[in-house]
Amino acid sequence: MNVTSKFDIIVVGAGPAGCASAYLLAKAGFKVLVLERGRGAGSKELWGGKAYAQPLREVWPELDKEAPIHRWVSKERFSLVWGERALTIEYKLGRKVAFTTYLTELVNWMARKAENAGAIIVDEVRVDEIVVKEGRVLGVKSGGDTVYADAVIDAEGVNRLLLEKLGLVEKLNPDHIALGVKEVLSLNPNLIEERFMLGKDEGLAWFVTGDVTLGLPGGGFIYTMRDSISIGLVLPIGPAAKAAEAGLLKEHVSSLVEAFRLHPYFRNLWREADVIEYGGRMTIEAGLKLMPRKLYMNGLLVVGDAAGFLVNTGYTIRGVDTAVTSGKLAAEALIEAFNNGGPTEENLKSYEEKVKKSYIYRELKNHSSIGDVMSDPFFFQKLPQVAIRAASKLFEADYEEPKLIRSFLDAAREEDVSSLKIIYKLGRVVGKL
Amino acid sequence: MRIAVGIKWVPNTQAVRFDPETGTLIRKGIPSIVNPHDLPAIEMALRLRDAVGGEVIAFTMAPPPAVKGLELALGMGVDRAILITDRVFAGADTLATSYVLANAISKVEREYGKVDLVVFGQETIDSSTAHIPGQVASWLDWPYVYYVKDIQVLGDGRIRVVRELEDYIEEYEIELPAVLGIAVRALKPRPVSLYNKLRAKLNKDTIVVWGNSELKLDPRCVGLKGSPTIVAKTIDMPEVPRKKEVYKPRDPRDAARWIVSKIVEDEKLRELLVKKLWGG
Repeated sequence: MNVTSKFDIIVVGAGPAGCASAYLLAKAGFKVLVLERGRGAGSKELWGGKAYAQPLREVWPELDKEAPIHRWVSKERFSLVWGERALTIEYKLGRKVAFTTYLTELVNWMARKAENAGAIIVDEVRVDEIVVKEGRVLGVKSGGDTVYADAVIDAEGVNRLLLEKLGLVEKLNPDHIALGVKEVLSLNPNLIEERFMLGKDEGLAWFVTGDVTLGLPGGGFIYTMRDSISIGLVLPIGPAAKAAEAGLLKEHVSSLVEAFRLHPYFRNLWREADVIEYGGRMTIEAGLKLMPRKLYMNGLLVVGDAAGFLVNTGYTIRGVDTAVTSGKLAAEALIEAFNNGGPTEENLKSYEEKVKKSYIYRELKNHSSIGDVMSDPFFFQKLPQVAIRAASKLFEADYEEPKLIRSFLDAAREEDVSSLKIIYKLGRVVGKL
Repeated sequence: MRIAVGIKWVPNTQAVRFDPETGTLIRKGIPSIVNPHDLPAIEMALRLRDAVGGEVIAFTMAPPPAVKGLELALGMGVDRAILITDRVFAGADTLATSYVLANAISKVEREYGKVDLVVFGQETIDSSTAHIPGQVASWLDWPYVYYVKDIQVLGDGRIRVVRELEDYIEEYEIELPAVLGIAVRALKPRPVSLYNKLRAKLNKDTIVVWGNSELKLDPRCVGLKGSPTIVAKTIDMPEVPRKKEVYKPRDPRDAARWIVSKIVEDEKLRELLVKKLWGG
């Protein structure tokens, strides 16, 4: 095969979205080339640790049997932490909905599926430019080399340098993105199961809010893997940068993660565990605001994080299943377009329609107002303090225990917040969560 | 011209951290890279090929993940690559390694034709012995020149080799085949190109894997068994806390005076210097 020979489709980025597209298109008999900047597919991935299985099964029905699944999430926990006090709610799930794993492993598996279906994956190459001539995408350029294809799928991820060059998106706005930093703590699987009260292959997903972020918007997460625990923090960049400028956030974010690891409420869960890995990644905070003006052009489709397809509900963040689903929709749209005369702008319009009809878009719209909550310091400073103080009145009474409402009103007064304001703010937020 | 270029897959020593408790290196999880000093050797081989034609074959003895290093060489434009890998080759010192590599060169000649030149980087960043090129030359009984900066092909089966030392330049005319050690930073290596990576990926024969079932070497002469080298003692060098001072005189002689007076005045620094220079 001549290297200058044309491919049917070039996928830029071997992440979940790119791999899903490449797999489905290669399986349908197209000549697919995937270009990845990192060493090996998935090597640039980083996340907390949980993926929703059903959208993935729609692409790979063999997922449950074949994919590198660490633990099926059987427990969801939520904690509000302030000082040495903490309030925790736990929910025990009734079926297998989501699983924990290392994203690098999962994406590696997806890439192998694509390769086995006939896609060609070339790693450690950087795509510098999507080549456009007279409004039509012709291929991609890397250094001095141009490779041609009938269509390009942009799965470049959250940092959309290619789309910026094309003028489809603006530069990233700090208010629309967040920084995730995590540590992987290695621990014997038996100890994980004992300490988190889990059965074999059962996992736990834990969302933490309060002063683990020093009262800044964002939160902490804990996920149990097979023989390790992932812990970390997600901080929206806009408010964190402002807090740093104002001198409120003095430490490096990694020391916040360290303080979280050493927190007295949590630290015994990973006693004797070793930190075997740490890392950081930029993630999407306001998906809908990051969506390109158009998800398609003549010969181009945008999928995954590059399209802003990450849903933040306030208590969960879903990006991998939405990425995979968008990759699947792109593959479907392309196959239809090829059957109808080619990937022209007109024929690829169906991709955007498919996205708008899918759960991705509905979820993004549905949870878009969460941004108002995330940008309001009240929910990360005063509210958790009032809640913890109220709980302390209920549970730390030496003689007389107040009624629930009394503990709340007293707590609000002592924290110098009007209880009406709390009720008003809560009333507003309940509709948004 | 058929040129073989030897490369080594090494831990990126710049990323290696110290364990503050035990004082040893933490190698776990450190990404490996192609020994940076091998890149000028690859570049030299490619320039020779581009000038006079022929092919460049990259080879390495390493565990299977080193295939990523060979992919880098192919991405730079090397024509084919050989991964020499076998459990019996593990734990080798430079003698056992060079024995395997020299035999691999002989096999290259049997498989693909006469090898005119074998080039290596000057040394590796993880062990810095600089033994391998000379030892391979000894096994093959070929001439060996190191610190090579430039090569000219003379056309009558001979090459002119320029060797740059600290204060003089040497030129040799040697007969091929030969082994050369290319000087550190002799040439700026070219970047990896998409076409080259793609060509390597689309052609299934570009990377071949040879184990001992292919090389058929006496197991007593390879790997740990074939390695007479023992590490007698290792001494950790104490970390010297650095002090930063900036002095910018107009006259460089003032700077020299200033440095000498600093050393003479500082008792600790004086002792350390004496220790380093005369060992005690």
